[in-house]
Amino acid sequence: MLSRSLVLRLCAAAPLAFALAACSSNASTASSSAAQAPAGNAVKIGIDLPLSGADSSVGRSTLNGMLLAIEQANAKGLPGGVTLQPDQLDDAVQGVHSPQQGVANARTFISDDGVLVMLGPYNSNVAAAQIPVTNAAGLAQISASTVSDGLTLGDDAKNLRRANPTTNTFFRVSTTDSRQGAAAARFARQLGKKTVYIIDDNETYGLDLANVFEKDFTQLGGTVIGHDHIDKGTQDFKALLTKIAATKPDLIFYGGTTSTGAGLIRQQMFDVGLGNTAFMGGDGIPDIATVAGPRADGTYYTVAAPNADKLLSARQFVRDYEARFHEPIGPYSANAYAATQVAIAAIAAATKENGGKVPTRAQVLAQIAKTNALSTPIGPVGFDAGGDVLEPVVSLYTIKNGQPVFISQQSVSK
Amino acid sequence: MHEFLAQLVNGISLGGIYALIAIGYTMVYGIAELINFAHGDVYTLGTFVALAIFGALGISGELHGIALVVDSGLALIGAAVCCGLIGMAMERLAYRRLRNAPRLAPLITAIGVSFILQNLMQLWKGSAPIPFPAVLPNPRFDLGPVSITAQQIAVVALAVAAMFALQIVVTRTRTGAAMRAVAQDRQAASLMGVDVDRTIAITFLIAGLLAGVGGFVSGVYYQSTWFLNGFSAGLKAFTAAVLGGIGNIAGAMLGGFLIGIIESFATWLIGGQWSNVTVFAILILVLVLKPSGLLGERVPEKV
Repeated sequence: MLSRSLVLRLCAAAPLAFALAACSSNASTASSSAAQAPAGNAVKIGIDLPLSGADSSVGRSTLNGMLLAIEQANAKGLPGGVTLQPDQLDDAVQGVHSPQQGVANARTFISDDGVLVMLGPYNSNVAAAQIPVTNAAGLAQISASTVSDGLTLGDDAKNLRRANPTTNTFFRVSTTDSRQGAAAARFARQLGKKTVYIIDDNETYGLDLANVFEKDFTQLGGTVIGHDHIDKGTQDFKALLTKIAATKPDLIFYGGTTSTGAGLIRQQMFDVGLGNTAFMGGDGIPDIATVAGPRADGTYYTVAAPNADKLLSARQFVRDYEARFHEPIGPYSANAYAATQVAIAAIAAATKENGGKVPTRAQVLAQIAKTNALSTPIGPVGFDAGGDVLEPVVSLYTIKNGQPVFISQQSVSK
Repeated sequence: MHEFLAQLVNGISLGGIYALIAIGYTMVYGIAELINFAHGDVYTLGTFVALAIFGALGISGELHGIALVVDSGLALIGAAVCCGLIGMAMERLAYRRLRNAPRLAPLITAIGVSFILQNLMQLWKGSAPIPFPAVLPNPRFDLGPVSITAQQIAVVALAVAAMFALQIVVTRTRTGAAMRAVAQDRQAASLMGVDVDRTIAITFLIAGLLAGVGGFVSGVYYQSTWFLNGFSAGLKAFTAAVLGGIGNIAGAMLGGFLIGIIESFATWLIGGQWSNVTVFAILILVLVLKPSGLLGERVPEKV
């Protein structure tokens, strides 16, 4: 009896001892990594993008642009022997970009002292959720693709910076919805379209883009016949398109992404007799052929960036990218490369300023804000006080035989 | 009038797909008293299998004549059989042991099975939207004021044919009699010599077959799918089953078509963003006024 209770006690004690051992080993690894960060010269660049799910094709090609810039900088060497280490996290949950996951990822970067700057996100609604968090923590964030006005402009932006109203931590090399929507409206009028029916996906990005397009298209003398919003996850748009077909518009404009509906809408246009009606969207739909297949042909879309293929400074980048990844660049690869160049230049400058030692987040942030006329594949990049790029360019493309064909571009200023 | 008819056609063809899925929910509920939340994913799997069969046959465009009948027949039967077997396997592996457990356990298990299927499909085909070949030529027929596409006719014809076949199985065969017996009283049925395990397995087989047909139809009709496709379609189909009176096959068919039509009309008359709200508001109204669903009381047997 006695021996049996002893055995029981030993059994009870064993997991406890195990847990203690686990605790102490945890503690030792934690302290060793904490000691490592300042001692070594590795600097982490946090990357937050949708890497799975419906946005993964554009997310991946954006990531590749970032990785290429980091690899090239490491090969060339940075001041103070700093090496850059990409740390990418996926913000898609169940296949769709998620603001909540974006915030969780931003917190992960913030709690990692090795992360000095964050690249991303891809989507505006994710950025709107992240900015208050990075602003409070003082972690600089550079996005290659977000375009919603409210991230950098007006009262919305002020609200996002409540924690630290005097500091801006969010920068983007892409342009805003209002500039892109205005450019898209001008393109549409140049294409001779007089009447438009507008559809949007009710998300931050899509709704903004559609509203700006509506306002500018009307100002330019066009007629907006109707404006409808759609629900997330809808697969059948025939009812909506039947309604639109009865109004015979010259153009259907879609504010949103391929995954939220553009692909299926384009495809189903043919089923209700709208196959010959022009379809246009913003930079959320360059990958529309992945859903609409051959029916994507004839779709117009704008991208808030110059045409990287045509730009002299971009040719080398395009060659390097194709050699490294064996595929053509994505719609935001060049922007991603440029955003990463900004981050790397800032880290290099801050390291120099810090006497060759790894700088702090605040020092890197200060350098990013000072960026001026940095040479990138998308032209010289500099930021205004709000974090917006100084001389943005919007390009118009169409799809022919499944491939993007560049039509024209315009420079837009405020 | 013209637009009314056009929207009615849209609604009926959308409803045909909902109806095919809804029958699976309602049969399984009627006989095993389980809400099989993985059913929507079995439907998506049907599209994936049909896609794989077309891929294996090297088909990427429109089919005509004999090839249309043979190849799409192969894909249809392949998808249906595969989904039927998956349905049976699900029941055998996940649900059978829990048949006498408290209600919540199989429900949670069903949600777990749903996640497993979703993730397997994600592993298989990736998480981006996948194009489906436009195998069916799609001419538009002008019937007076309204025009119908060949695909819409095919969707509705397949859905109705599958439902008639099912109705015959349930009402005219020994297996059907066993299913009705198990639905009424599982214990009494087993005392009368009905093999309950086998009957429930066959129910899952039939539910899977219909989901497979639905998956094939959805691929051909929308020419696009992705691994989460079954989530919202499954939810709507479940709603259809409840609207029609869960456990009642005719109710599920009626509910499916009604939800398709309501969705189309709401989009047309109120606006795209209100279609889901309208569908679920009507569901709530029906449940408040007639908790058993539209056809819930008329049929004493639950099948």
